[in-house]
Amino acid sequence: MDIKKLTIKSARETLDKKEITGKELHGEFLKLIKKENSKLNAFLSIHEDYKKVVDTGDILEDIPAAIKDNMLIAGSKCTAASKILENYIAPYDATVVSKLKKSGAVFMGKTNLDEFAMGSTTENSAFGPTLNPHDHKRVAGGSSGGSAAAVAAGLAVYALGSDTGGSIRNPASFSGVVGLKPTYGVVSRHGLIAMASSLDQIGPITKNVEDAAIVLNKIAGHDPLDSTSSPRAVPDYTASLGKSIEGLRVAVPKEFFGEGLDPDINNTVQKAISRLESLGAHVDQVSLPMTDYALAVYYIIVPSEISANMARYDGIRYGRSAHNKSKSLLDVYLDSRAEGLGEEVRRRIMLGTYVLSAGYYDAYYLKAQKVRALIKRDFDKIFEKFDVIVGPTVPTVAPKLGELDDPLAAYLADIYTVQINLAGVPAISVPCGEVDMDGSKMPVGMQIIGKHFDEEKVLQVAHAYEQNK
Amino acid sequence: MSNIDQKDVEHIAGLARIKVNTKEKENLAKNLSDILNYVDKLKEVDTEGVEPIAHITGLEDVLRKDEIVGVFSEIEPESLVEQAPSSDKDNYVKVKSVFEDKK
Repeated sequence: MDIKKLTIKSARETLDKKEITGKELHGEFLKLIKKENSKLNAFLSIHEDYKKVVDTGDILEDIPAAIKDNMLIAGSKCTAASKILENYIAPYDATVVSKLKKSGAVFMGKTNLDEFAMGSTTENSAFGPTLNPHDHKRVAGGSSGGSAAAVAAGLAVYALGSDTGGSIRNPASFSGVVGLKPTYGVVSRHGLIAMASSLDQIGPITKNVEDAAIVLNKIAGHDPLDSTSSPRAVPDYTASLGKSIEGLRVAVPKEFFGEGLDPDINNTVQKAISRLESLGAHVDQVSLPMTDYALAVYYIIVPSEISANMARYDGIRYGRSAHNKSKSLLDVYLDSRAEGLGEEVRRRIMLGTYVLSAGYYDAYYLKAQKVRALIKRDFDKIFEKFDVIVGPTVPTVAPKLGELDDPLAAYLADIYTVQINLAGVPAISVPCGEVDMDGSKMPVGMQIIGKHFDEEKVLQVAHAYEQNK
Repeated sequence: MSNIDQKDVEHIAGLARIKVNTKEKENLAKNLSDILNYVDKLKEVDTEGVEPIAHITGLEDVLRKDEIVGVFSEIEPESLVEQAPSSDKDNYVKVKSVFEDKK
């Protein structure tokens, strides 16, 4: 048995046939992680003890999972890849974690990310970048780069990530795995360290589409502790898998194939779209006219919400503190934040503070929320006539380490993903081919977007493509 | 054109409780100006009569009772106070004096 290749289904079969016990499987993964993590830096902490809360008979029982290090597991470190939380021990479980525990899941550890999930390469992690398993000179993507690399390298069967503007889909595309960002509100964020609260959403990173549906079944649902979570009933997300996509209407926005898109990515994604057509889908070109403004909206709303959410890191109640060496209360704030927060985090706090400061609110935040309404309207219009929208997930393959050192250039990598969060709709990235880059075969992802709460259609199309590519 | 100079950076840094040295002031002035000039393109968009987004799928006024529920019922207050750099036996977090003598 090659444990690197295990999916949830195949791991379940192996366990059910008693070829291996849950404890032994944990041990095998632990050995593998210890061997490979020193290079990849996918895990920030490793859970050495086999801990299972209950015997459940559930499909996820004893299946080794990895959790992004911005979700709390009671009694374990949760750093958000920031020095300010370097020694922070989570006092309770995030709702997604307690749900997985109730399924009998086993956690292998916490995965690397850009500090507080701010970035798209994991290079903003205070503890070093995660390397791409396909080429160690390249990044794994971000911000959920550790989760994507762990799954791509087979160091966990599946992982959880969080996605504010592409942080699940971008590393999934760069690392050659499946990443699903559900509709805003489908999964509770209670116990997720907040970045931009009107956009943040948790979702699965997996080796195939079926596993993504299986994990979503377990983590979705209303939670009184997250007031933004949806009260809708949770469907069986695996039910639509295997259904034909004949007659489904697929929209391809012309703006997703414009300037900045790498020609090799263009070819690869176009081929994948032709495949959908040969499977019976009706493909038509459409326009998302606000695409050009989406990044601008995103980079107003996100820093604004960050500047509010990051105010809690003040060196007073928890986390790294300069309390013992600072003279005044103000110095405690200033010194704790100077020692604890990285460059990109401070830049975003500063930007958010500026655009929310007296006299600027209307021109920036309010204007951005209005343009956001127009972006949502674009999507609504398309979904009146179409079932899904498809296109590339990111405009390039995984960049080399250090390649995106200019902040604005780095933001441009998010061009196809941020709109989806702004509109609150669900989207998946599925591997759709490889491109030769300096002797390495680098994965390419296709993004499939659905309307609010229509994860089933997104998964159906992704699965049909994956099974017939 | 939005131009952030080093004085603006100092002002924002004060509001945000962020300490900046001279080199960082220079970099931030440039970075923030670049980003603000980029987002300025929103001025081109006509938003006359458009309602701003409040909650993207339309939830409104979500309330619950002010009760300790879920995971919080299992947490000992001590375990939270212990995370603070300084506290006393009565579970108070200790901070530096809030009011200072005028010099």
